Amino acid sequence: MIRKTRSQDALLLSVALVAGFFALIAAFSPANAGPKQDAVIAKLAAEAGVASFSAKNGEAFFQGTHTGGKPETTSCTTCHTKNPRAMGKTRVGKPIEPMAVSANPTRFIDPEKLAKWFRRNCNSVVGRECTTTEKGEILTYLSSI
Amino acid sequence: MSTKTETFFPLIPVWDIFIRVFHWSLVLAVSVAGLTGFLLGATWLDIHIWAGAAAGALIFARLVWGFLGSAYARFKNFVPGPATLRLHLNELRSGTAPRHIGHNPLGALMILGLIGTILALGLSGAVQLGGEFKTGPLAFLFSYDTARLMADLHGAFANILLTLVILHVAGALYESWRTRENLPKSMLTGQKQSRPGDHVTPQGHALPILASIAILGGLGLSLWGGVTLAARPGFGAAKPPVNAVYADECSACHMAFPPSLMPGENWTQLMQTLPDHFGEDASLGRTTTRELTDWLIANSADTVDTKPARVLARVDPANPIMLTKTPFWLATHDPIDDATFKRAPIYSRSNCAACHSDADSGAFYPGNIDIPAALKPETKTANN
Repeated sequence: MIRKTRSQDALLLSVALVAGFFALIAAFSPANAGPKQDAVIAKLAAEAGVASFSAKNGEAFFQGTHTGGKPETTSCTTCHTKNPRAMGKTRVGKPIEPMAVSANPTRFIDPEKLAKWFRRNCNSVVGRECTTTEKGEILTYLSSI
Repeated sequence: MSTKTETFFPLIPVWDIFIRVFHWSLVLAVSVAGLTGFLLGATWLDIHIWAGAAAGALIFARLVWGFLGSAYARFKNFVPGPATLRLHLNELRSGTAPRHIGHNPLGALMILGLIGTILALGLSGAVQLGGEFKTGPLAFLFSYDTARLMADLHGAFANILLTLVILHVAGALYESWRTRENLPKSMLTGQKQSRPGDHVTPQGHALPILASIAILGGLGLSLWGGVTLAARPGFGAAKPPVNAVYADECSACHMAFPPSLMPGENWTQLMQTLPDHFGEDASLGRTTTRELTDWLIANSADTVDTKPARVLARVDPANPIMLTKTPFWLATHDPIDDATFKRAPIYSRSNCAACHSDADSGAFYPGNIDIPAALKPETKTANN
């Protein structure tokens, strides 16, 4: 009876240790992004000639209100909402899958799709193409939350 | 007084059970068809059509019974010649017209008029249904333009039938008063008083088994023929639009509108202005744009004969690529207010499929309008 309890304790302890180890690794990981998103961001970083992008700048761009674009769409949040982990909605009410990689792991993998939507949406919101830095920052932000 | 006469004259059977069931069933079918056609909106179309079809089937059965039924039901015993009619009119004028146990000559004319008008209504309705909505047994045969002509005729026949029904009721009431006998009641009980000097019809035997075979056989054959014909593709009906790229690209933001809803010219303009598409950049690559434009033109409103294609082709010159600004769209959606369109699960005027369950096909059959439960009038009033 007593021996059984001790072996249970040992088992619990080892499980806790293993879980804690993985939790530690997760806590120190830079982002929620998978290797495919990391590769896309790394490519943009190489293009911009920087080591990494500021997620904070990306957040400011994504959440901010812009001028220069179309009056119907002054912010990314017009359609994607203030919470990138939540579903968005097009201007006619169709649902948009979440933008945050943590909520939608297939985001930002297809380079063609990425190019198309950056071209369209940057033009709609800021009235011009986004710079490589802006793109990198936005992707870093959406991969980090 | 009337009690005295009723007890004095013996009652004899006149209207057999077929005639009575037929008569009141027809009253019901024509009432439903009239109510839905004259007063209720397009969403009642299916019920209108079923009521009309029922009336047509009843008339067919009555025609058979007119040859194989009991004495007072047979055409040969009541359809008057000109001489009989003239005599009856003269007798009515001089107040000496005898009672007719069956249909009197004027009543007989009314029966023929009612039968003919209901048949004409059924036929014109089937042509209109086929040509306008590309459904039903005659869909394969008739164009939208023919259907519009037929719609005018259908309306005219409906007005004629309404007039005849009023005259028929008035005639029955007048004859009831003139002969002091409740004729509508006779159509329930089947019996009438037998009085001296009545115009009677020589009795003959009904052939109910033969009549049943003829009626059921005829209706079965019509049903089979109707279903077979209805399965044929409608004249100029829209082909189901299938293009994976189109569906993928356009439905990223909104429903993929069937290409048959706009003329090719307007689609070309829409595709050329994608970089500024209703306040958003919806640009596509050069190759995709060209391929989709070609596909849209090949399946546009110019290539079909559907009602949506024809009515939506009349665009608002100021908004040539907005279906929701066309006069027809505005007229048919007029009762729906702005707030309703913005509410879940619609969100936008452009979301046809929220209420039109067949929007993807471009058919927009009125019977397929299904208002979301959240938007029924009661809810609307409660929220206002």
